[in-house]
Amino acid sequence: MFLLSRKTIMFRAHMSVTRIWQLIEKRMMSCISVHGKLPGLQRAVGEVRRKSSFRQSPLLTATPVRALIDEQISIKGRFLSQNYPVTVCAQMHSEEGDLWEAFAHYTTNASGSINLTSDHSVGGSYVGCEPMGLFWALEPALGSREGLSLRKRNVETPYMVNISLLEGHTSPSEGQRTELAAVTTERWYMVPGVRRIEIRQNNIVGTLFLPPGPGPFPAMLDLWGEGGGLFEYRSALFASRGFASLSVAYMGHKDLPGPPHIMSVGDSYFKSAFQLLQDHCQVDADRIGVIGLSFGVVLTFRIATRSGFKPSCLICINGAVGSPLLDEDGKIKMSESDQKYWELDDRGYVSFKNVSLPDNLPPESKQKVENITCPLMCIVGEDDLCAASTENADLIEEALRSAGKSHQFTRLSYPGAGHLIEPPYTPCARASLWRAKPEKLFALWGGHPAPHAAAQEDAWKRILEFMETHLRR
Amino acid sequence: MDRKQCCVKLSVQPSRGLMDEKFIVLVQNALPGSQLTIRALHQCEDGHSWEAFGHYTADTTGTINVSEDPSIRGTYSGVEQMGLLWSLRPIPGSKPGLRMRKKNIQTPMEVTISVYQGHQTEGFADLVPLSGVVVERWYMAPGVRRIPVTEGGLTATLFLPSGPGPFPGLLDLWGGGGQLVEYRAALLASHGFASMAIDYLTSKFTMETGKMVDNQYFETAYRVLQQHPQVCGSKIAMIGLSFGTSMTLKMAIYSEVIKLSAAVCISGSHVQPVEGSVEEIMGFFQKNAGKTRFNEKNEAIWRDLLLPIPTDPSLKADVGRLQCPLLLVVGEDDQNWPAQESALDIKEMMARAGNSHLLTVLSYPNAGHLIEPPYTPHARSSTFKTVEIQEKVMCLWGGQTVEHSRAQEDAWKKILVFLRENLYGGRNPTSFSHL
Repeated sequence: MFLLSRKTIMFRAHMSVTRIWQLIEKRMMSCISVHGKLPGLQRAVGEVRRKSSFRQSPLLTATPVRALIDEQISIKGRFLSQNYPVTVCAQMHSEEGDLWEAFAHYTTNASGSINLTSDHSVGGSYVGCEPMGLFWALEPALGSREGLSLRKRNVETPYMVNISLLEGHTSPSEGQRTELAAVTTERWYMVPGVRRIEIRQNNIVGTLFLPPGPGPFPAMLDLWGEGGGLFEYRSALFASRGFASLSVAYMGHKDLPGPPHIMSVGDSYFKSAFQLLQDHCQVDADRIGVIGLSFGVVLTFRIATRSGFKPSCLICINGAVGSPLLDEDGKIKMSESDQKYWELDDRGYVSFKNVSLPDNLPPESKQKVENITCPLMCIVGEDDLCAASTENADLIEEALRSAGKSHQFTRLSYPGAGHLIEPPYTPCARASLWRAKPEKLFALWGGHPAPHAAAQEDAWKRILEFMETHLRR
Repeated sequence: MDRKQCCVKLSVQPSRGLMDEKFIVLVQNALPGSQLTIRALHQCEDGHSWEAFGHYTADTTGTINVSEDPSIRGTYSGVEQMGLLWSLRPIPGSKPGLRMRKKNIQTPMEVTISVYQGHQTEGFADLVPLSGVVVERWYMAPGVRRIPVTEGGLTATLFLPSGPGPFPGLLDLWGGGGQLVEYRAALLASHGFASMAIDYLTSKFTMETGKMVDNQYFETAYRVLQQHPQVCGSKIAMIGLSFGTSMTLKMAIYSEVIKLSAAVCISGSHVQPVEGSVEEIMGFFQKNAGKTRFNEKNEAIWRDLLLPIPTDPSLKADVGRLQCPLLLVVGEDDQNWPAQESALDIKEMMARAGNSHLLTVLSYPNAGHLIEPPYTPHARSSTFKTVEIQEKVMCLWGGQTVEHSRAQEDAWKKILVFLRENLYGGRNPTSFSHL
């Protein structure tokens, strides 16, 4: 009856006007003036709504309220009715302006509280005890464009995520919800004091992140996949954890030579990048590692075996030992030439997995992984639909075993996890837009939300520990 | 330089916290048993540098945890989790009489915390630390909205908590120095109170006309707050420090318009000409200016201006008529106002009137006048200019740093509980968020 404002205040259908005036007379709502102005009535109704359901204003807290992306946030609701159904909802806007949402159904305990660190969700975007479920289960809101993914471009600003507490078991798409309380959280990729430095020298296109403090710091060279572009967020997080980190772009960037869908830079490019780190006065030249995801894995092996440099450690996520696309100098010969191995699903989404099956890789393209001289961590998502990660990891493991280097090899394998094993508590995209021209193409990454989220959380912890062990001690 | 010591790791959690939140400072990977100095450095808005430091010894695992391990000496000693903040003091060679007060509360206070080899006491600028981090301390939680208020001739700022509301309201008053001081209101909004900081001595009106505001000014502020759609008009409290206490008591007792649910009075007094305007009350203090004393450092002591506490009822706000709970916060070493003597007299007056169940007094030995939000560095004295004097004076506030800092921390916790109890009603929260 009284839909007072779109934002929050809802009027219960069974609450009659007579009842309101009764309550006014009982002086429960002293804030209404005699003439019953609408704003006063709005406030009164809000009060009555609250008073009729709760003894005290519900409180929703999130700690810490300004956190790093990889930090756990503890969300609690208090001063609610006992054994009461509530929905916790997370909402945020991506940099592109899309709305992402997640929600979960809880029941308050006998003290009228909920604690997402220990309570179980009984429905919604996730079920079970998932302290960070509201973040990793975020999905584009109903009606959004297809194939969206959440990958932050500007790492110097946080994601603002609004967490709200709603009455009853409901969902964001349902129109009428009573918001009981809300809290805004900020999720950052950089801690204060981290320095972001754009690198456009020695033909390198990249961004260097330095931790706060004098240094010298151990460092990482950070390589991404064939989608191209320059992704800074993992490096920003490494710097926030005390490691200098250089992300480099090698294709699909306006400052790189050649057309965007070809890799026109080769081995010498990555050598320059490694050299830049070594030469940097705040980097410890003897403590530099390399991390690669997807196509970045091949590049990582090329650096480790052909560049003349000796990285202190290698981390390879969901990649292959070789690629049909690379020529002798490490440049891409042509793109999408192995479409014969592409598999399309019934939506026309493509899985590139078979391209990198060891049997399908040209023998001359396979890197000599047995020649690596440092510890290697191989991370595998067993539901990877983009790369034959498991098969390649088997090959690497065997190659190192034959060379008597098993002690250098660590493998982390995650059932149900897909291709893009990224920093934790970020949503898993099972597929996303791969390219827009000449026509739209969506790539399948694989992975199911809950196991993928668990994989990201565990893998990140292990990655940081691996780096601490081999770069700092 | 020792290779291992190069890898000393320093972390502060959270790296972005609210001003009243605790943090954990952790040093790891140090040589077991090594002597290290942990130092905080802050450059405030007017460009002055402040520092604090403690001397530690790494344990057998090469770790120092500031919340568990003692500082042997420094600007603080013993186990002091937040010592690096509350013991901040201007670096040697700074101008005397400085006081740290943030004007722009939309940006955080940045503190650089570093660890140095050995037990250092000076010359930090010339030393290279082993490691360093930057910590941000915020007055506003994310989602808190800052809204300048000029309605009705007010010079004020409203801070609204994030969320749907409605929220209880708070009027926030500072003292004789005037200006629009926002930081406490911003913090209180971060704790769920719609807080309005009010400039009642140097408002636009006063600056333009040369006249002081009248009682209606405060009533206008109350009305504006009450009528805000996100404020629960029946739950409004007032908090005042120093001269702000005088205004708070005046409004709480005598205003026909202002109906407070609670009042917090910090470092103030009830001594004032009853029914006097702001101007008249100021004049009353001016009249007694001759009672100003100076200590050996030529610092002005103003506590005697209102002493002895008068027996004439027309010179004291009639606290016996108070109808809302009152929390008094008193520093027993307050050299600026006779807060302790006033509190005792208030207690007596309320006992006689039969409303002493409304009174709570927090009295802190060796705390001074400026009882601020926690971890604010203590200023025993600083240069000060009131709106009437117009020239800077070195004012003695009082307080001994360690006890004053503990008082700030304890008082703030209790103020929040008091406000929650009276404005949100119902049970006490068992543990209020991070405090």
